[in-house]
Amino acid sequence: MRAKVIPGTGLVWFSMALVVLAGGEVCARAAEMKLQAFLLWGTDDSKPPEGRTYKPVEADIRQKLKDLPLKWANWFEVNRVAFAVPQGTVKVATMSEKCQVNVKNLGGSEVEVSLIGKGKEVVKRKQSLPKGEMLVLGGNAPNSTAWLVALKRIE
Amino acid sequence: MDYDAQLRLQAFLDGELAEAEASEVTDWLARDREAAALLEELRHTCEALRGIEAGIRLPESREFFWSKVEREIQRLEAPAPKPAPVPLFALLRRCLVPATAVALLIIAGVVLTRPTGPSGLTPAAEIETALADSGAFTYRDYSAGTTLVWLSYPADNEVAEDDETDIVE
Repeated sequence: MRAKVIPGTGLVWFSMALVVLAGGEVCARAAEMKLQAFLLWGTDDSKPPEGRTYKPVEADIRQKLKDLPLKWANWFEVNRVAFAVPQGTVKVATMSEKCQVNVKNLGGSEVEVSLIGKGKEVVKRKQSLPKGEMLVLGGNAPNSTAWLVALKRIE
Repeated sequence: MDYDAQLRLQAFLDGELAEAEASEVTDWLARDREAAALLEELRHTCEALRGIEAGIRLPESREFFWSKVEREIQRLEAPAPKPAPVPLFALLRRCLVPATAVALLIIAGVVLTRPTGPSGLTPAAEIETALADSGAFTYRDYSAGTTLVWLSYPADNEVAEDDETDIVE
């Protein structure tokens, strides 16, 4: 009787082990990063320039920017791109004619971000970007204003 | 011939009658041819059966054979024994062993499939692999989970050439 039970039980455990390992592997392979990229314009004026219909930046992003050592009082959203990056792939988010962001999902929460300005790579950066965190790339713009590309991980 | 007369003949044949009754039957047989024929037939039948029984023998003694039958009847009539109570430790072990195995499998699955970057970076590690902008600096706000990379791009002379929003648009 015992001899019949052991092979059956062993088979069940072996199957369960395979299911657990395979399930974990599938989850890891299917890891997809969902991101939002914002092109922002910073100014001390309370309104966007004439002829532009920029919206004020979202409250949560405004709060994060407020905590950074940036002198500008108001931030306006010029463009927004939402995209998903499967593990091991690169996605290009075109923020404007002159600006694009390349994001590579390195697995886990690791990303490699390249900022392309006027066709040239300005910066390439590898870092972890857990859910809810944000990477902000920015610089000066004319008339004491600023530009930012904020990359926020949604999932 | 009635049934009692037939039985009487059978008893005579088997030697079960008293002497007086046996002599009566002998007289009866001398007078009645039918009775004599029946006795003859019974005698032949007995002889034939005796020959058959002689050929059949039990492999064991009669007493032993019947004792086996008796024991088998007693075994079938005996009440089924109650199952022995399972000790508490055995019950716990029965539950804990599979639970431990499942837990180990889950832990193994989590550990083996834990996402790690190809470079083996810890979550907090960060590297700038290429930086064309030598005037850039990085600021990290750990409480807000925000990293700022401030670039000197575009160059000041480019800034001067562009309108306010031309840089971003």
